[in-house]
Amino acid sequence: MVFGAVMIPIWRAASKAVKKTLSVRQVPYLAIGAAFSFVIMMFNVPILGGSTGHAVGGVLVAILLGPWAACIAVTVALVIQALLFGDGGITAIGANCFNMAFVLPFVGYYVYKFISSGSPAGSSRRIFAAGAGAYAGICASALSAGIEFGLQPLLYHTANGQALYCPYGLNVAVPAMLFGHLVLIGWVEVIVTALVVKYLQKQDAVFFEGGRS
Amino acid sequence: MSNPLHKKHHFIERSILSALAFLKDATTSEEYANRKGFLQSLDPRFKTISFFSFLVTAVSLKSAVLISFLYGFCLILVLLSSIPVRHFLVRTLLFIPLFSLFIVLPTVFSAMTPGDPVWSFHVAGITGIITRPGVDGAVLFVVRIATSVSLVVLLSLSTRHSELLKVLRLFGVPQIFVLTVSMCYRYLYLFATMVENIFTAIKSRVGVVSHQRHGQKVVAWNIANTWNRTTQMSEEVYMAMLSRGYTGEPRLLSKFHATPKDWLWLLCAIVICAFLFYRGHTL
Repeated sequence: MVFGAVMIPIWRAASKAVKKTLSVRQVPYLAIGAAFSFVIMMFNVPILGGSTGHAVGGVLVAILLGPWAACIAVTVALVIQALLFGDGGITAIGANCFNMAFVLPFVGYYVYKFISSGSPAGSSRRIFAAGAGAYAGICASALSAGIEFGLQPLLYHTANGQALYCPYGLNVAVPAMLFGHLVLIGWVEVIVTALVVKYLQKQDAVFFEGGRS
Repeated sequence: MSNPLHKKHHFIERSILSALAFLKDATTSEEYANRKGFLQSLDPRFKTISFFSFLVTAVSLKSAVLISFLYGFCLILVLLSSIPVRHFLVRTLLFIPLFSLFIVLPTVFSAMTPGDPVWSFHVAGITGIITRPGVDGAVLFVVRIATSVSLVVLLSLSTRHSELLKVLRLFGVPQIFVLTVSMCYRYLYLFATMVENIFTAIKSRVGVVSHQRHGQKVVAWNIANTWNRTTQMSEEVYMAMLSRGYTGEPRLLSKFHATPKDWLWLLCAIVICAFLFYRGHTL
């Protein structure tokens, strides 16, 4: 709920930024962008050992739509997941949005911008930058979630010290959240984001020259 | 997110299954929301406020017994709303609460939570001691999650999704955002069908993509292709909106009607929450 309050000024800023850049066409563009960010999770990617995984796609959406529009698109996808499918927790929606609709696209996008700055639209540096951005974004998001989990036993506990919500402190929650993302999930994100940027470059490199990307 | 439980399924089948699962979930929810039942007969605004109150109560209470009472009440509402109990239990208990139990399991041992021992055992020379505060904490954690998930799923199953999204306006969510969410939800049907068609086409033409790298390229190519189709579609949708009189200011149709039954229900919900809070403080 605290993060819900934190997200309100962020959503307000996102709405303003999006209005400025996308004008009156924003509604279908954002709605379809949000649907795209939801649908990315339906694409299963083959990974090691014959198993499959799926990407979250937040950084990819940020590269394609810009970070503010991605913030709204991912928020919309999370709201639909939580409210209509009971997959994300209504009371955790603020924290989920902070991690996945704010930290993830912004960290990923600015890592991508930093590495790719000055490179031609069709360069392989952009593909590398997209992969690095995706990895940085998802790991930063996992770190943020780990810190939020780890702070809960300190903030919410009974008189005898028993945790009311997440029972693990920072020393357990942060490594637990980071390990899976650094070792496996982050790489699924890298593969999907880098390859999609590569194919979009091949189809229409002009897309990466101006505007949002 | 890795899913090693489904190793036996190829990524093509997994993608088709993901798309179909979405479509099935959405269709089943709409089917239950259209049935004649107690929750379906309530005004979505009152229903959402009452469920939100239950949810806040479940999250705030510190007693597993009181939260269980709320869970029992939730199951009674399932019965009164013509929603199959088995379907509801499978949907609400099978994944998230079980996953929570797995997460919280180490905390029942004395190494994580010291306290009065309730049971000890020896395995391979290691002594494990389960403590009372550890068990209490774990039970509270899992019961709270099971109840919260059940409440949200019940609200979603008993309310038409289009109406549930309109109710977001009640909570001060800007109209433009509600419109975006509503439009996004409609396009999800289309895109889920698109994903299913893409992978069915790949399966029928190629059979099986056995090489991992080639499989990754196939998936990435199709995500890129889906993106191209979505951007083209957004232009077409905008033109269609203009042709139907869209001026940049969205307007949502609202046909909610409150009846005395809705007010009575809201009163009951407030009384239940107040009672649980009171009992929570006196326990």
